[in-house]
Amino acid sequence: MSTETPDSIVSAPPLAAPNAGRPIPKAPGAVTAALRVFELSLGQMLWSRRTIFLGIVVGSPILLGLLVRILEFMGVAGTLKMGGASVSGDAAFGTMMWLLYLRFLVPVLGVFYGTALIADEVDDKTITYLFVRPIIRAAVLVGKFLAYVVTTIFVVLPSVVVLYLLVQPLGGGSLGAGFPRLLTDLGLLALGLVAYGALFALVGAWMKYPLVVGLVFVIGWEQLAMALPGYLRKLTIAYYLQSLVPHAMPTDGLGSALQSLFRDTPSPSVSILTLIVASAVFLALGGWLVQRREYVLEQ
Amino acid sequence: MTAKTRYFLVGSALVFVLGLSIGLVAYYGGTPGKLFGKQAGPAELGLVPDDAAVVAYANVGQIMKSDLRQKLRQFDGMTDEGRTEFKNETGIDIENDIEYVVAYMQANQAGTSGALGGLVLARGHFDRNRLETLARSKGAVVGQYKGKSLITPPVESAEPGEKAEPKPMAVAFLEDGLVALGSDAAVKHAIDGPAGAKSARSNADLMKLVSDVSDSSMWAVGHYDAISAQAKLPAEVTSRIPPITWFAASGHVNGGVTVMLKAETKDEQSAANLRDIVRGFVALAKMSTGNKPEAMALWPNVEMGGTGNTVSLSFGVSSQLIDVFAPKKKSPGAPGTPEKPEAPAKSQKPEAKKS
Repeated sequence: MSTETPDSIVSAPPLAAPNAGRPIPKAPGAVTAALRVFELSLGQMLWSRRTIFLGIVVGSPILLGLLVRILEFMGVAGTLKMGGASVSGDAAFGTMMWLLYLRFLVPVLGVFYGTALIADEVDDKTITYLFVRPIIRAAVLVGKFLAYVVTTIFVVLPSVVVLYLLVQPLGGGSLGAGFPRLLTDLGLLALGLVAYGALFALVGAWMKYPLVVGLVFVIGWEQLAMALPGYLRKLTIAYYLQSLVPHAMPTDGLGSALQSLFRDTPSPSVSILTLIVASAVFLALGGWLVQRREYVLEQ
Repeated sequence: MTAKTRYFLVGSALVFVLGLSIGLVAYYGGTPGKLFGKQAGPAELGLVPDDAAVVAYANVGQIMKSDLRQKLRQFDGMTDEGRTEFKNETGIDIENDIEYVVAYMQANQAGTSGALGGLVLARGHFDRNRLETLARSKGAVVGQYKGKSLITPPVESAEPGEKAEPKPMAVAFLEDGLVALGSDAAVKHAIDGPAGAKSARSNADLMKLVSDVSDSSMWAVGHYDAISAQAKLPAEVTSRIPPITWFAASGHVNGGVTVMLKAETKDEQSAANLRDIVRGFVALAKMSTGNKPEAMALWPNVEMGGTGNTVSLSFGVSSQLIDVFAPKKKSPGAPGTPEKPEAPAKSQKPEAKKS
């Protein structure tokens, strides 16, 4: 066999190795990955149907406050009354904080958003796209959790401030006198959103039907544990959160009456520390679970 | 992050920061009167300290012009002589020149120097120059305090060997149409300016009561302990009265007067006891009108109310009821007034013969 190369055959230059001159970028670190996921999830979460529901819920008391102010301005409304007794704007705002925000909105937001952080991705079968990225899986949970915190805080806290400006001056109330309590309310709302969100993020990463579990916890377990004497109430978030509230607890029913009967409040520093530590632990456990668990997508 | 998301976050943060800023300004400096809603009570409540024990208000102009006052003039002894004399001296016609009066009293702070005491703020039309001239003619000292005229009474001459002490009273013109009269410290406190967040408007308990009564012609709200201490009630009486924390009294003058009394007690049991006491007094009052049947027919509809720790009592005194109790004013020598015929002398009955 002749070893001569035919002239017609032009020897092609050797193929260059892919990315030969360019180094392969490193996978982003945990923090960077979490921030990237946060950025992605924030827009999705903020413009989702859940947030529209949230907007309606926080907007209703604002509309009510606006209506009362308009009526007062027109001279139609008399003093603000609750249960037949006239109350100042200060008392009305405190009651709204207790009943609407602290005992309903914050836990419910934690349940609906927190459980959906991972569970929704599993249900929509989109979690695969997140897990194939060269990032640690726990960063997905942390990034989504941050998006939840920012979404809820940026919707709920401004609404509380607007509600304060509308309701506080009613019945001779003073904006200035109630301002320190408003700051406390804002702080504990933020802390409550973080604590409940972290807990239900763990529930969402762990359990099959996290929404049901979350609702049972909030509506069932917490109410029961708070009404019973003993140490069981220490296994709730409401116990620590309600100890930080600067307003008097309204006795709006048997549940509240029982809770006030067996009320023993921890100190504010203990409550704050417990909530922060608990949030960190829940989030860490959730991240650990997401890292190790195999999510089976239903076909 | 999309532009829409960014705009939402920025807008939300702006609302949050703006709201907090307003609250912060209100906390340190106080908000203007009608910026965030109709404020209960007169604007002068901003000059009342938040620890005032009792605050009172009287719409003098409305009361003076009311039919009730005209009815009350039927009572013997009520003449215009004093009012006329006062007007000649000061140039102030009480009936027309004084719009309303706000007063407060602070709890006695025994042992503390510079205790504020109390203050009366009168809004109306005053001739400042005439009043200052009158004060000087009486020996008062017209000084200045932070640009405002401050009139203090003359120092009374003391006994030989004793130091003359000035009376702790003062009068000042805070602005056109607003006069402050009271203890020297309280007047200076008022001149110092609105107390902002620390005025009576920041006292939520006080303002709650004020808002209930602020539409009345006259009202007073405050700590019950303050007035009971001033009244110096005997211990046997005070020990039987349920523990009352706050009280509010108001009267709205129209043809007659509608009175509302409200008290807040320390607990619900005390409120229940107080309601029983009040019911007893109302029954006693009704019994006292037994000798005036016409009064019974006009007896005001007394309403007892209140829930929880609150006890309220309201009733209206009509002008007809006042007519029943008002003694007819004698006007001897008036033309056309028929003279009362003398009672015939009693004929002496002959003594019965003893059989």
